[in-house]
Amino acid sequence: MHLTIISGATRPRERSNTAKIISVFLTGFQKCGHTAEVWYLSDRTSWAGTRAAFCENSNILFALPLYVENVPGTMLEFLESLPPKTTSGTRLSFLVQGGFPEASQGRCCECFLKTLPEQLGCAYGGTLIRGDMFSTGLLGKKHGSKMVQPFIEIGHSFGKYGYFHESIIVEYASPEYLSEKQIRQFQRLSKFSRWLMDIIAKRLGCTERLDAMPYDK
Amino acid sequence: MNLLIINTLPEAEPAAQQVICALAEKVDEYRVIHTAAMRIAPCVGCNCCWLKTPGVCALKDDYEQILKAYLEYDAAIFISGTSLGFIDHRTKNLIDRSIPLGTMYTHIVNGQMRHVPRYDKVFHFGLIYTGEADREYLELWLKRFALNFNSVSIGAFPVEKIQEVSLCI
Repeated sequence: MHLTIISGATRPRERSNTAKIISVFLTGFQKCGHTAEVWYLSDRTSWAGTRAAFCENSNILFALPLYVENVPGTMLEFLESLPPKTTSGTRLSFLVQGGFPEASQGRCCECFLKTLPEQLGCAYGGTLIRGDMFSTGLLGKKHGSKMVQPFIEIGHSFGKYGYFHESIIVEYASPEYLSEKQIRQFQRLSKFSRWLMDIIAKRLGCTERLDAMPYDK
Repeated sequence: MNLLIINTLPEAEPAAQQVICALAEKVDEYRVIHTAAMRIAPCVGCNCCWLKTPGVCALKDDYEQILKAYLEYDAAIFISGTSLGFIDHRTKNLIDRSIPLGTMYTHIVNGQMRHVPRYDKVFHFGLIYTGEADREYLELWLKRFALNFNSVSIGAFPVEKIQEVSLCI
């Protein structure tokens, strides 16, 4: 199988969590003896090539960060520019990564993604939602590598089936919602996580309060 | 009520003019921002507005006036084109840039994690669209969008149902 992966992330490749995820996904996917090519929509100069790859290939995977409950505007612009396929046989799958831990946060986006294959003349290969990815590029390489490890198994499974099998979707989308215990734990650690964010912000050169209101009257 | 009307359609588009006239009749005060000719880049996900310059977008283009205007009006209504059954990328780009309204801090709202709003204000957001779209989905999406910023959704309306908006503002 040859897979065309299109990253819908807007961050440049070197700072993109989606790019990190794709890289690890490919480790698992290529264990099955498959080949792949990756296109990044953050590089607009490559859009013509990406469009050609979409038109020519029959296994397409969009990997994207969740942006305000749906795909990033940049990816939407690219999707709008795609001509629907006129011959059958193309499968379109989606990998959505979000910052919040719950998979339920990505369901609104998934509803839209489910409609795309038919609109673009393709079959649907499923949507895998993985949350809790915000800190992937924020807390150092070691932590980041740990966060993306599950994508080896996800990539391997995708290579085995050619689509996102229901079992892998369910396993890695967990939790759908935080349990009451997890919510209590989160609330107990709330002050600590704020403190941690303040520290990270200071390291990044922030001199204001993170809850500053710059445009308040 | 005072109303912010954000038109992403070309300024001379008859549908946009029709909507603006209809809305203008229903409110005490309004402001229209036509974005078609403005320089507004897509969000690049740099997180500066959360972690480096809290509340201020790192992209220096024409967007900042819209962010400020959200705070000055009781409600904001987007006039949008549609594509693939959803709003088009012009409006989505604009909405992606609204994240400075939230902070990096998170809390739980109705059992789900959300960003803590940056401002004490309760925003009201609405959408009026031209073309083919799944209204039910747009309603759902707008509610989810509003939830992110301690906001209330006024609803999503096809331009043909403009009279329904009047009942909601």
